[in-house]
Amino acid sequence: MEVETVGEIIAPMAGKVIDVRVKVGDQVSDGDEVVVIEAMKMEIPVVAPESGTVAEIACREGDAVEADGVLLKLS
Amino acid sequence: MNIEDKIAELDRRNREAEAGGGARRIEKQHAKGKMTARERLDYLLDDGSFEEIDKFVVHRCYDFGMEKNRVPGDGVVTGYGTIHGRRVFVFSQDFTVLGGSLSGPFGEKVCKIMDLAIKNGAPVIGLNDSGGARIQEGVVSLGSYGEIFRRNVHASGVVPQISVIMGPCAGGAVYSPALTDFVIMVKKTSNMFITGPEVIRAVTGEQVTPEQLGGALTHNTKSGVAHFAENSDKDALDRVKELLSYLPQNYREKPPCVECTDDPMRSDKELNQMVPTNPRKPYDMKQIIERVLDGRHFFEVQRQYATNMIVGFGRLNGIVVGIVANQPKALAGCLDIDASMKCARFVRTCDAFNIPLVTFVDVPGFLPGVGQEFRGIIKHGAKIIYAYCEATVPKISIVTRKAYGGAYDVMSSKHHGGDINYAYPTAEIAVMGPEGAVNIIFRKQIAESDDPEATRAKLVEEYRNNFASPFKAAELGYIDKIIFPENTRPLLIKALMMLKDKRDAIPSRRHGNIPL
Repeated sequence: MEVETVGEIIAPMAGKVIDVRVKVGDQVSDGDEVVVIEAMKMEIPVVAPESGTVAEIACREGDAVEADGVLLKLS
Repeated sequence: MNIEDKIAELDRRNREAEAGGGARRIEKQHAKGKMTARERLDYLLDDGSFEEIDKFVVHRCYDFGMEKNRVPGDGVVTGYGTIHGRRVFVFSQDFTVLGGSLSGPFGEKVCKIMDLAIKNGAPVIGLNDSGGARIQEGVVSLGSYGEIFRRNVHASGVVPQISVIMGPCAGGAVYSPALTDFVIMVKKTSNMFITGPEVIRAVTGEQVTPEQLGGALTHNTKSGVAHFAENSDKDALDRVKELLSYLPQNYREKPPCVECTDDPMRSDKELNQMVPTNPRKPYDMKQIIERVLDGRHFFEVQRQYATNMIVGFGRLNGIVVGIVANQPKALAGCLDIDASMKCARFVRTCDAFNIPLVTFVDVPGFLPGVGQEFRGIIKHGAKIIYAYCEATVPKISIVTRKAYGGAYDVMSSKHHGGDINYAYPTAEIAVMGPEGAVNIIFRKQIAESDDPEATRAKLVEEYRNNFASPFKAAELGYIDKIIFPENTRPLLIKALMMLKDKRDAIPSRRHGNIPL
Protein backbone atom coordinates (compact mmCIF):
# COMPACT_ATOMS: atom_id res chain seq x y z
CA MET A 1 0.00 0.00 0.00
CA GLU A 2 2.42 2.60 1.28
CA VAL A 3 4.78 3.82 -1.42
CA GLU A 4 8.30 4.01 -0.10
CA THR A 5 9.41 7.59 -0.56
CA VAL A 6 12.66 7.52 1.36
CA GLY A 7 15.18 9.68 -0.48
CA GLU A 8 12.57 11.41 -2.61
CA ILE A 9 11.52 14.96 -1.97
CA ILE A 10 8.01 15.59 -3.20
CA ALA A 11 5.85 18.63 -3.88
CA PRO A 12 3.44 19.33 -1.00
CA MET A 13 0.88 20.69 -3.45
CA ALA A 14 0.43 21.42 -7.14
CA GLY A 15 2.20 24.58 -8.26
CA LYS A 16 5.03 26.14 -10.21
CA VAL A 17 8.70 25.64 -9.39
CA ILE A 18 10.19 29.11 -8.92
CA ASP A 19 13.55 28.30 -7.39
CA VAL A 20 15.81 25.25 -7.24
CA ARG A 21 18.38 25.98 -4.56
CA VAL A 22 20.61 22.92 -4.89
CA LYS A 23 22.49 21.05 -7.60
CA VAL A 24 23.47 17.43 -8.04
CA GLY A 25 26.18 16.47 -5.56
CA ASP A 26 25.26 19.08 -2.95
CA GLN A 27 25.08 18.00 0.67
CA VAL A 28 21.80 18.91 2.33
CA SER A 29 20.78 18.72 5.96
CA ASP A 30 17.43 17.90 7.44
CA GLY A 31 15.31 21.06 7.20
CA ASP A 32 17.25 22.81 4.41
CA GLU A 33 15.09 24.59 1.85
CA VAL A 34 15.85 22.89 -1.45
CA VAL A 35 13.09 24.01 -3.81
CA VAL A 36 10.51 26.79 -3.72
CA ILE A 37 7.10 26.25 -5.27
CA GLU A 38 4.58 28.93 -5.97
CA ALA A 39 0.98 27.93 -5.44
CA MET A 40 -2.10 29.95 -4.58
CA LYS A 41 0.16 33.04 -4.82
CA MET A 42 2.28 31.76 -1.97
CA GLU A 43 5.96 30.91 -2.13
CA ILE A 44 6.15 27.55 -0.44
CA PRO A 45 9.60 26.34 0.60
CA VAL A 46 10.13 22.60 0.27
CA VAL A 47 12.57 21.32 2.86
CA ALA A 48 14.72 18.21 2.96
CA PRO A 49 13.11 15.69 5.33
CA GLU A 50 16.49 14.10 6.04
CA SER A 51 20.16 14.74 5.43
CA GLY A 52 21.84 13.41 2.30
CA THR A 53 23.45 14.13 -1.02
CA VAL A 54 21.42 15.38 -3.96
CA ALA A 55 21.46 12.48 -6.43
CA GLU A 56 19.03 13.75 -9.02
CA ILE A 57 17.01 16.87 -9.71
CA ALA A 58 13.69 16.11 -11.32
CA CYS A 59 12.36 19.63 -11.82
CA ARG A 60 13.41 22.95 -13.31
CA GLU A 61 12.43 26.53 -12.61
CA GLY A 62 9.17 27.25 -14.35
CA ASP A 63 7.97 23.62 -14.30
CA ALA A 64 4.42 22.92 -13.25
CA VAL A 65 4.40 20.13 -10.67
CA GLU A 66 1.61 17.96 -9.36
CA ALA A 67 0.95 17.38 -5.68
CA ASP A 68 3.24 14.53 -4.51
CA GLY A 69 5.31 14.88 -7.71
CA VAL A 70 9.00 14.07 -7.19
CA LEU A 71 11.17 17.21 -7.15
CA LEU A 72 14.52 15.66 -6.39
CA LYS A 73 16.14 12.55 -5.03
CA LEU A 74 18.65 12.20 -2.24
CA SER A 75 21.13 9.41 -1.71
CA MET B 1 -22.56 -20.96 56.36
CA ASN B 2 -21.70 -18.47 59.10
CA ILE B 3 -21.01 -14.78 58.52
CA GLU B 4 -17.23 -15.29 58.38
CA ASP B 5 -17.63 -17.83 55.63
CA LYS B 6 -19.93 -15.51 53.68
CA ILE B 7 -17.37 -12.71 53.93
CA ALA B 8 -14.60 -15.08 52.91
CA GLU B 9 -16.65 -16.16 49.91
CA LEU B 10 -17.14 -12.53 48.82
CA ASP B 11 -13.41 -11.94 49.23
CA ARG B 12 -12.62 -14.99 47.14
CA ARG B 13 -15.02 -13.92 44.41
CA ASN B 14 -13.66 -10.37 44.39
CA ARG B 15 -10.12 -11.65 43.99
CA GLU B 16 -11.24 -13.99 41.23
CA ALA B 17 -12.81 -11.11 39.31
CA GLU B 18 -9.80 -8.88 39.86
CA ALA B 19 -7.47 -11.54 38.49
CA GLY B 20 -9.04 -11.11 35.03
CA GLY B 21 -7.66 -13.64 32.57
CA GLY B 22 -4.99 -14.82 34.99
CA ALA B 23 -1.28 -14.26 35.60
CA ARG B 24 -0.06 -15.75 32.31
CA ARG B 25 -2.27 -13.56 30.13
CA ILE B 26 -1.49 -10.49 32.23
CA GLU B 27 2.20 -11.19 31.69
CA LYS B 28 1.60 -11.34 27.93
CA GLN B 29 -0.29 -8.05 28.11
CA HIS B 30 2.65 -6.42 29.91
CA ALA B 31 5.13 -7.93 27.46
CA LYS B 32 3.39 -6.01 24.69
CA GLY B 33 3.96 -2.79 26.62
CA LYS B 34 0.30 -2.64 27.57
CA MET B 35 -1.23 -2.06 30.99
CA THR B 36 -4.14 -4.21 32.13
CA ALA B 37 -7.70 -2.93 32.17
CA ARG B 38 -7.55 -2.32 35.92
CA GLU B 39 -4.08 -0.76 35.88
CA ARG B 40 -5.33 1.70 33.29
CA LEU B 41 -8.29 2.73 35.41
CA ASP B 42 -6.01 3.05 38.45
CA TYR B 43 -3.78 5.42 36.53
CA LEU B 44 -6.64 7.38 34.96
CA LEU B 45 -8.81 7.99 38.00
CA ASP B 46 -8.14 9.88 41.23
CA ASP B 47 -6.69 7.60 43.91
CA GLY B 48 -9.35 5.48 45.56
CA SER B 49 -12.19 7.09 43.59
CA PHE B 50 -13.09 4.10 41.43
CA GLU B 51 -16.40 2.43 42.21
CA GLU B 52 -16.82 -0.73 40.20
CA ILE B 53 -20.21 -2.06 39.22
CA ASP B 54 -21.23 -5.39 37.67
CA LYS B 55 -18.08 -7.10 38.87
CA PHE B 56 -19.71 -10.54 38.97
CA VAL B 57 -21.51 -10.43 35.66
CA VAL B 58 -20.84 -13.54 33.59
CA HIS B 59 -21.91 -14.58 30.13
CA ARG B 60 -24.92 -16.81 29.49
CA CYS B 61 -23.62 -18.69 26.49
CA TYR B 62 -23.93 -22.49 26.45
CA ASP B 63 -22.81 -23.05 22.86
CA PHE B 64 -19.40 -24.29 21.77
CA GLY B 65 -18.44 -25.31 25.32
CA MET B 66 -18.51 -21.71 26.51
CA GLU B 67 -20.18 -22.70 29.78
CA LYS B 68 -16.75 -23.97 30.90
CA ASN B 69 -15.13 -20.64 30.16
CA ARG B 70 -16.66 -18.09 32.47
CA VAL B 71 -14.75 -15.24 34.10
CA PRO B 72 -16.51 -12.84 36.48
CA GLY B 73 -16.75 -9.43 34.87
CA ASP B 74 -16.83 -11.05 31.42
CA GLY B 75 -14.00 -9.03 29.89
CA VAL B 76 -14.85 -5.47 30.77
CA VAL B 77 -14.36 -3.43 33.94
CA THR B 78 -17.01 -0.72 34.37
CA GLY B 79 -17.90 1.90 36.91
CA TYR B 80 -17.42 5.51 37.91
CA GLY B 81 -14.83 7.64 39.61
CA THR B 82 -13.30 11.09 39.47
CA ILE B 83 -10.53 12.83 37.52
CA HIS B 84 -9.23 15.99 39.21
CA GLY B 85 -12.29 15.72 41.43
CA ARG B 86 -14.81 15.67 38.58
CA ARG B 87 -17.15 12.71 38.05
CA VAL B 88 -16.58 10.43 35.05
CA PHE B 89 -18.04 7.11 33.92
CA VAL B 90 -15.63 4.54 32.56
CA PHE B 91 -15.40 1.19 30.88
CA SER B 92 -12.14 -0.61 30.35
CA GLN B 93 -12.03 -3.63 28.09
CA ASP B 94 -9.93 -6.51 29.41
CA PHE B 95 -7.97 -8.17 26.64
CA THR B 96 -6.85 -10.94 29.02
CA VAL B 97 -10.42 -12.28 29.30
CA LEU B 98 -11.46 -14.00 26.06
CA GLY B 99 -9.47 -11.38 24.15
CA GLY B 100 -11.73 -8.62 25.43
CA SER B 101 -14.38 -9.92 23.04
CA LEU B 102 -17.83 -8.41 23.31
CA SER B 103 -20.66 -10.61 24.57
CA GLY B 104 -24.25 -9.77 25.38
CA PRO B 105 -23.60 -9.17 29.11
CA PHE B 106 -20.38 -7.26 28.29
CA GLY B 107 -22.47 -4.91 26.16
CA GLU B 108 -25.12 -4.61 28.88
CA LYS B 109 -22.43 -3.51 31.35
CA VAL B 110 -21.18 -0.82 28.99
CA CYS B 111 -24.73 0.34 28.29
CA LYS B 112 -25.51 0.54 31.99
CA ILE B 113 -22.74 3.02 32.69
CA MET B 114 -23.55 5.00 29.54
CA ASP B 115 -27.15 5.33 30.72
CA LEU B 116 -25.92 6.50 34.12
CA ALA B 117 -23.59 9.01 32.46
CA ILE B 118 -26.39 10.48 30.35
CA LYS B 119 -28.83 10.71 33.27
CA ASN B 120 -26.25 12.16 35.62
CA GLY B 121 -24.52 14.44 33.14
CA ALA B 122 -20.91 13.29 33.27
CA PRO B 123 -18.39 12.29 30.59
CA VAL B 124 -17.96 8.70 29.38
CA ILE B 125 -14.44 7.43 28.84
CA GLY B 126 -14.02 4.13 27.01
CA LEU B 127 -10.71 2.28 27.08
CA ASN B 128 -10.78 -0.06 24.08
CA ASP B 129 -8.71 -3.23 23.84
CA SER B 130 -10.81 -5.95 22.28
CA GLY B 131 -10.63 -8.62 19.64
CA GLY B 132 -14.16 -7.72 18.51
CA ALA B 133 -17.41 -9.60 18.62
CA ARG B 134 -17.52 -12.83 20.67
CA ILE B 135 -18.17 -15.18 17.79
CA GLN B 136 -19.61 -17.92 20.02
CA GLU B 137 -22.44 -15.59 21.02
CA GLY B 138 -23.47 -14.96 17.43
CA VAL B 139 -26.06 -12.30 16.87
CA VAL B 140 -26.29 -11.56 20.61
CA SER B 141 -22.91 -9.89 20.30
CA LEU B 142 -24.06 -7.84 17.32
CA GLY B 143 -27.13 -6.78 19.24
CA SER B 144 -24.90 -5.55 22.03
CA TYR B 145 -22.81 -3.46 19.65
CA GLY B 146 -25.98 -1.93 18.30
CA GLU B 147 -27.21 -1.05 21.79
CA ILE B 148 -23.88 0.68 22.50
CA PHE B 149 -23.96 2.62 19.20
CA ARG B 150 -27.47 3.88 19.94
CA ARG B 151 -26.35 5.16 23.33
CA ASN B 152 -23.27 6.77 21.77
CA VAL B 153 -25.59 8.67 19.46
CA HIS B 154 -28.00 9.63 22.21
CA ALA B 155 -25.13 10.78 24.44
CA SER B 156 -23.62 12.82 21.59
CA GLY B 157 -23.74 16.49 22.50
CA VAL B 158 -25.17 15.64 25.92
CA VAL B 159 -21.99 14.54 27.70
CA PRO B 160 -18.41 14.44 26.38
CA GLN B 161 -17.43 10.99 25.11
CA ILE B 162 -13.76 10.08 24.82
CA SER B 163 -12.39 6.86 23.33
CA VAL B 164 -8.90 5.59 23.94
CA ILE B 165 -7.74 2.84 21.61
CA MET B 166 -5.16 0.76 23.48
CA GLY B 167 -5.17 -2.47 21.50
CA PRO B 168 -7.09 -3.95 18.61
CA CYS B 169 -10.39 -2.39 17.61
CA ALA B 170 -11.73 -4.00 14.47
CA GLY B 171 -14.90 -4.53 12.53
CA GLY B 172 -18.09 -3.22 14.10
CA ALA B 173 -16.17 -2.31 17.26
CA VAL B 174 -14.73 0.76 15.53
CA TYR B 175 -18.08 2.47 15.28
CA SER B 176 -18.50 3.16 18.96
CA PRO B 177 -15.26 5.20 19.10
CA ALA B 178 -16.11 6.76 15.74
CA LEU B 179 -19.33 8.15 17.23
CA THR B 180 -17.57 9.73 20.21
CA ASP B 181 -16.11 13.23 20.42
CA PHE B 182 -12.42 12.37 20.65
CA VAL B 183 -10.35 9.31 19.72
CA ILE B 184 -6.91 8.86 21.25
CA MET B 185 -4.68 6.07 19.90
CA VAL B 186 -1.53 4.50 21.33
CA LYS B 187 1.25 4.16 18.78
CA LYS B 188 2.31 0.63 17.76
CA THR B 189 -0.07 -1.24 20.09
CA SER B 190 -3.40 -0.03 18.76
CA ASN B 191 -5.17 -0.27 15.44
CA MET B 192 -8.60 0.35 13.99
CA PHE B 193 -10.10 -0.94 10.79
CA ILE B 194 -13.41 -2.14 9.41
CA THR B 195 -11.87 -5.04 7.50
CA GLY B 196 -8.44 -6.33 8.41
CA PRO B 197 -5.38 -7.03 6.29
CA GLU B 198 -6.37 -10.66 5.61
CA VAL B 199 -9.82 -9.84 4.28
CA ILE B 200 -8.39 -7.00 2.22
CA ARG B 201 -5.78 -9.30 0.73
CA ALA B 202 -8.45 -11.87 -0.16
CA VAL B 203 -10.84 -9.35 -1.70
CA THR B 204 -8.68 -6.71 -3.36
CA GLY B 205 -5.24 -8.33 -3.37
CA GLU B 206 -3.74 -5.36 -1.51
CA GLN B 207 -0.90 -6.20 0.89
CA VAL B 208 -0.86 -4.16 4.06
CA THR B 209 0.16 -4.59 7.68
CA PRO B 210 -2.28 -3.83 10.53
CA GLU B 211 -0.11 -0.87 11.53
CA GLN B 212 -0.09 0.59 8.00
CA LEU B 213 -3.79 -0.01 7.59
CA GLY B 214 -5.10 1.27 10.88
CA GLY B 215 -2.29 2.26 13.24
CA ALA B 216 -2.18 5.47 15.25
CA LEU B 217 -0.25 7.35 12.58
CA THR B 218 -2.57 6.28 9.79
CA HIS B 219 -5.61 7.59 11.61
CA ASN B 220 -3.87 10.73 12.80
CA THR B 221 -2.37 11.71 9.44
CA LYS B 222 -4.41 10.14 6.63
CA SER B 223 -7.95 9.27 7.66
CA GLY B 224 -8.61 11.84 10.38
CA VAL B 225 -10.43 9.17 12.40
CA ALA B 226 -8.26 9.84 15.46
CA HIS B 227 -7.38 13.09 17.22
CA PHE B 228 -4.25 12.16 19.13
CA ALA B 229 -1.40 9.64 18.78
CA GLU B 230 0.45 8.85 21.99
CA ASN B 231 3.60 6.87 22.77
CA SER B 232 2.27 4.75 25.62
CA ASP B 233 -0.80 3.81 27.62
CA LYS B 234 0.18 6.33 30.31
CA ASP B 235 0.66 9.15 27.79
CA ALA B 236 -2.77 8.40 26.32
CA LEU B 237 -4.42 8.47 29.75
CA ASP B 238 -2.61 11.72 30.61
CA ARG B 239 -4.03 13.12 27.39
CA VAL B 240 -7.55 12.19 28.53
CA LYS B 241 -7.02 14.02 31.81
CA GLU B 242 -5.84 17.22 30.13
CA LEU B 243 -8.54 17.06 27.45
CA LEU B 244 -11.23 16.81 30.14
CA SER B 245 -9.96 20.04 31.73
CA TYR B 246 -11.19 21.89 28.62
CA LEU B 247 -14.63 20.27 28.61
CA PRO B 248 -17.74 20.77 30.74
CA GLN B 249 -19.44 17.82 32.44
CA ASN B 250 -22.40 18.11 30.07
CA TYR B 251 -24.06 20.48 27.61
CA ARG B 252 -25.84 22.50 30.33
CA GLU B 253 -22.55 23.60 31.90
CA LYS B 254 -19.60 25.67 30.84
CA PRO B 255 -16.07 24.28 30.92
CA PRO B 256 -14.28 24.84 34.23
CA CYS B 257 -12.67 28.24 34.56
CA VAL B 258 -9.20 28.22 36.10
CA GLU B 259 -7.41 31.03 37.85
CA CYS B 260 -5.31 32.93 35.32
CA THR B 261 -1.73 33.69 36.29
CA ASP B 262 -0.95 35.33 32.94
CA ASP B 263 -1.67 39.08 32.69
CA PRO B 264 -4.93 39.50 30.73
CA MET B 265 -3.71 42.92 29.56
CA ARG B 266 -0.38 41.54 28.36
CA SER B 267 0.51 43.12 25.02
CA ASP B 268 3.20 41.62 22.85
CA LYS B 269 5.26 43.75 20.49
CA GLU B 270 6.59 40.64 18.75
CA LEU B 271 3.15 40.08 17.30
CA ASN B 272 3.58 43.19 15.15
CA GLN B 273 6.30 41.39 13.21
CA MET B 274 4.68 37.96 12.84
CA VAL B 275 2.80 38.50 9.59
CA PRO B 276 5.20 39.09 6.69
CA THR B 277 4.42 42.23 4.68
CA ASN B 278 5.02 40.26 1.49
CA PRO B 279 1.73 38.36 1.00
CA ARG B 280 3.63 35.62 -0.83
CA LYS B 281 5.61 34.64 2.24
CA PRO B 282 4.22 31.94 4.51
CA TYR B 283 4.50 32.08 8.30
CA ASP B 284 3.54 29.88 11.22
CA MET B 285 0.09 30.81 12.54
CA LYS B 286 0.67 28.63 15.60
CA GLN B 287 3.17 31.13 16.91
CA ILE B 288 0.51 33.85 16.95
CA ILE B 289 -1.96 31.52 18.66
CA GLU B 290 0.53 30.51 21.34
CA ARG B 291 1.57 34.08 22.08
CA VAL B 292 -1.94 35.23 22.91
CA LEU B 293 -3.14 32.30 25.05
CA ASP B 294 -2.76 32.08 28.83
CA GLY B 295 0.73 30.80 29.61
CA ARG B 296 1.24 30.46 25.85
CA HIS B 297 -0.28 27.01 26.17
CA PHE B 298 -2.11 25.64 23.14
CA PHE B 299 -3.65 22.16 23.37
CA GLU B 300 -3.77 21.19 19.73
CA VAL B 301 -6.27 18.62 18.43
CA GLN B 302 -5.60 16.59 15.25
CA ARG B 303 -2.13 18.10 15.02
CA GLN B 304 -1.00 15.85 12.18
CA TYR B 305 -4.15 15.81 10.06
CA ALA B 306 -5.04 18.46 7.43
CA THR B 307 -2.26 20.69 8.71
CA ASN B 308 -3.54 23.62 6.63
CA MET B 309 -6.20 23.96 9.33
CA ILE B 310 -5.35 24.33 13.02
CA VAL B 311 -7.83 23.45 15.77
CA GLY B 312 -7.44 23.08 19.52
CA PHE B 313 -8.11 24.47 22.96
CA GLY B 314 -6.56 27.15 25.09
CA ARG B 315 -7.54 29.61 27.78
CA LEU B 316 -7.94 33.37 27.77
CA ASN B 317 -8.11 34.92 31.23
CA GLY B 318 -8.85 31.42 32.51
CA ILE B 319 -11.81 30.89 30.18
CA VAL B 320 -11.64 27.90 27.83
CA VAL B 321 -11.77 28.81 24.14
CA GLY B 322 -11.77 26.70 20.99
CA ILE B 323 -9.18 27.93 18.51
CA VAL B 324 -9.67 27.53 14.77
CA ALA B 325 -7.06 28.89 12.38
CA ASN B 326 -5.82 28.69 8.84
CA GLN B 327 -2.15 27.71 8.57
CA PRO B 328 -0.40 29.62 5.75
CA LYS B 329 2.60 27.33 6.17
CA ALA B 330 0.71 24.29 4.85
CA LEU B 331 -0.97 24.19 1.43
CA ALA B 332 -0.80 28.01 1.49
CA GLY B 333 -3.59 27.88 4.08
CA CYS B 334 -6.14 26.81 1.45
CA LEU B 335 -9.39 25.16 2.45
CA ASP B 336 -9.61 21.64 1.08
CA ILE B 337 -11.92 18.72 1.88
CA ASP B 338 -9.94 17.41 4.84
CA ALA B 339 -9.45 20.86 6.37
CA SER B 340 -13.15 21.60 5.94
CA MET B 341 -14.22 18.46 7.75
CA LYS B 342 -11.65 19.00 10.51
CA CYS B 343 -12.80 22.58 11.03
CA ALA B 344 -16.54 21.89 10.91
CA ARG B 345 -16.34 18.97 13.30
CA PHE B 346 -14.36 20.98 15.82
CA VAL B 347 -16.66 24.01 15.60
CA ARG B 348 -19.65 21.75 16.30
CA THR B 349 -17.83 20.09 19.22
CA CYS B 350 -17.20 23.51 20.76
CA ASP B 351 -20.76 24.71 20.16
CA ALA B 352 -22.19 21.53 21.68
CA PHE B 353 -20.24 22.11 24.89
CA ASN B 354 -20.50 25.90 25.34
CA ILE B 355 -16.93 26.64 24.31
CA PRO B 356 -16.47 30.11 22.72
CA LEU B 357 -14.75 30.11 19.33
CA VAL B 358 -11.75 32.24 18.41
CA THR B 359 -10.89 32.05 14.71
CA PHE B 360 -7.63 33.28 13.16
CA VAL B 361 -8.10 33.88 9.45
CA ASP B 362 -5.50 33.84 6.69
CA VAL B 363 -7.06 32.04 3.79
CA PRO B 364 -6.40 32.54 0.08
CA GLY B 365 -9.44 30.48 -0.91
CA PHE B 366 -10.55 26.93 -1.55
CA LEU B 367 -7.98 24.56 -3.03
CA PRO B 368 -8.46 24.30 -6.81
CA GLY B 369 -8.31 20.86 -8.40
CA VAL B 370 -10.29 18.25 -10.27
CA GLY B 371 -9.77 15.79 -7.42
CA GLN B 372 -11.22 18.19 -4.88
CA GLU B 373 -14.26 18.94 -7.03
CA PHE B 374 -14.88 15.27 -7.86
CA ARG B 375 -14.67 14.31 -4.20
CA GLY B 376 -17.19 16.99 -3.29
CA ILE B 377 -15.41 20.07 -1.94
CA ILE B 378 -18.74 21.83 -2.49
CA LYS B 379 -20.55 19.72 0.06
CA HIS B 380 -17.61 19.41 2.45
CA GLY B 381 -16.79 23.12 2.34
CA ALA B 382 -20.45 23.76 3.10
CA LYS B 383 -19.92 21.98 6.41
CA ILE B 384 -17.81 24.89 7.66
CA ILE B 385 -20.59 27.32 6.77
CA TYR B 386 -23.16 25.11 8.43
CA ALA B 387 -21.12 24.68 11.59
CA TYR B 388 -20.37 28.37 12.10
CA CYS B 389 -23.88 29.57 11.21
CA GLU B 390 -25.44 27.05 13.56
CA ALA B 391 -23.05 27.80 16.44
CA THR B 392 -24.53 30.10 19.08
CA VAL B 393 -21.49 30.25 21.37
CA PRO B 394 -19.49 33.52 21.33
CA LYS B 395 -17.67 33.82 18.01
CA ILE B 396 -14.66 36.10 17.66
CA SER B 397 -12.37 36.29 14.65
CA ILE B 398 -9.12 37.99 13.71
CA VAL B 399 -8.17 38.36 10.06
CA THR B 400 -4.38 38.42 10.12
CA ARG B 401 -3.84 38.59 6.37
CA LYS B 402 -5.81 37.07 3.51
CA ALA B 403 -9.56 36.62 3.51
CA TYR B 404 -10.51 36.15 -0.10
CA GLY B 405 -13.66 35.09 -1.86
CA GLY B 406 -16.00 32.49 -0.43
CA ALA B 407 -13.32 31.54 2.06
CA TYR B 408 -13.74 35.01 3.63
CA ASP B 409 -17.40 34.27 4.28
CA VAL B 410 -16.95 30.82 5.76
CA MET B 411 -14.27 31.62 8.34
CA SER B 412 -16.50 33.01 11.11
CA SER B 413 -17.40 36.19 9.22
CA LYS B 414 -19.86 38.79 10.46
CA HIS B 415 -22.40 37.43 7.98
CA HIS B 416 -22.26 34.01 9.61
CA GLY B 417 -22.98 35.44 13.01
CA GLY B 418 -19.52 36.55 14.12
CA ASP B 419 -19.96 38.57 17.32
CA ILE B 420 -16.69 40.47 17.14
CA ASN B 421 -14.59 40.51 13.99
CA TYR B 422 -11.11 42.00 14.27
CA ALA B 423 -8.55 42.56 11.53
CA TYR B 424 -4.84 43.31 11.57
CA PRO B 425 -3.65 46.25 9.44
CA THR B 426 -2.02 43.59 7.22
CA ALA B 427 -5.45 42.10 6.37
CA GLU B 428 -6.50 41.81 2.74
CA ILE B 429 -10.25 41.32 2.59
CA ALA B 430 -11.60 41.27 -0.93
CA VAL B 431 -13.60 39.26 -3.42
CA MET B 432 -10.40 37.96 -4.99
CA GLY B 433 -6.68 38.67 -5.19
CA PRO B 434 -5.51 41.81 -7.03
CA GLU B 435 -4.13 39.97 -10.10
CA GLY B 436 -7.27 38.00 -10.74
CA ALA B 437 -9.60 40.91 -10.10
CA VAL B 438 -7.71 43.28 -12.39
CA ASN B 439 -7.62 40.73 -15.21
CA ILE B 440 -11.39 40.50 -15.12
CA ILE B 441 -12.45 44.08 -14.39
CA PHE B 442 -9.94 45.73 -16.74
CA ARG B 443 -9.59 43.04 -19.40
CA LYS B 444 -10.50 45.37 -22.24
CA GLN B 445 -8.55 48.33 -20.94
CA ILE B 446 -5.40 46.20 -20.55
CA ALA B 447 -5.72 44.61 -24.00
CA GLU B 448 -6.23 47.94 -25.71
CA SER B 449 -3.44 49.82 -23.93
CA ASP B 450 -0.08 50.50 -25.61
CA ASP B 451 1.81 48.59 -22.95
CA PRO B 452 -0.52 45.92 -21.51
CA GLU B 453 1.99 44.65 -18.95
CA ALA B 454 2.71 48.10 -17.52
CA THR B 455 -1.00 48.92 -17.46
CA ARG B 456 -1.78 45.67 -15.69
CA ALA B 457 0.96 46.25 -13.11
CA LYS B 458 -0.31 49.78 -12.42
CA LEU B 459 -3.89 48.59 -12.04
CA VAL B 460 -2.85 45.71 -9.76
CA GLU B 461 -1.00 48.14 -7.54
CA GLU B 462 -4.02 50.46 -7.43
CA TYR B 463 -6.33 47.59 -6.61
CA ARG B 464 -3.99 46.32 -3.93
CA ASN B 465 -3.89 49.73 -2.26
CA ASN B 466 -7.60 50.39 -2.48
CA PHE B 467 -9.21 47.01 -2.02
CA ALA B 468 -6.72 44.47 -0.61
CA SER B 469 -6.94 45.98 2.85
CA PRO B 470 -9.19 45.73 5.90
CA PHE B 471 -10.59 49.24 5.40
CA LYS B 472 -13.38 48.49 2.92
CA ALA B 473 -14.70 45.80 5.24
CA ALA B 474 -14.36 48.11 8.25
CA GLU B 475 -16.24 50.89 6.43
CA LEU B 476 -19.11 48.45 5.99
CA GLY B 477 -19.04 47.26 9.59
CA TYR B 478 -18.07 43.74 8.53
CA ILE B 479 -14.92 44.25 10.58
CA ASP B 480 -15.64 45.82 13.96
CA LYS B 481 -12.15 47.06 14.61
CA ILE B 482 -8.74 47.12 12.99
CA ILE B 483 -6.32 46.31 15.76
CA PHE B 484 -2.62 46.58 16.43
CA PRO B 485 -1.39 42.99 16.54
CA GLU B 486 0.42 43.61 19.83
CA ASN B 487 -2.98 44.08 21.51
CA THR B 488 -4.48 40.80 20.30
CA ARG B 489 -4.59 39.17 23.72
CA PRO B 490 -6.15 42.05 25.70
CA LEU B 491 -8.71 42.67 22.96
CA LEU B 492 -9.69 39.02 22.65
CA ILE B 493 -10.19 38.91 26.42
CA LYS B 494 -12.27 42.11 26.39
CA ALA B 495 -14.50 40.69 23.68
CA LEU B 496 -14.77 37.37 25.48
CA MET B 497 -15.76 39.03 28.77
CA MET B 498 -18.35 41.16 26.95
CA LEU B 499 -19.80 37.98 25.40
CA LYS B 500 -19.65 35.73 28.43
CA ASP B 501 -23.40 35.69 29.02
CA LYS B 502 -24.35 35.64 25.34
CA ARG B 503 -27.73 34.10 24.59
CA ASP B 504 -28.70 33.31 21.04
CA ALA B 505 -30.89 30.77 19.31
CA ILE B 506 -31.58 29.52 15.83
CA PRO B 507 -35.09 28.64 14.59
CA SER B 508 -36.49 25.49 16.19
CA ARG B 509 -36.78 22.33 14.10
CA ARG B 510 -36.57 18.56 14.43
CA HIS B 511 -32.93 18.80 13.52
CA GLY B 512 -30.87 20.53 10.91
CA ASN B 513 -29.66 18.72 7.82
CA ILE B 514 -25.91 19.33 7.65
CA PRO B 515 -24.50 18.32 4.25
CA LEU B 516 -22.82 15.03 5.18
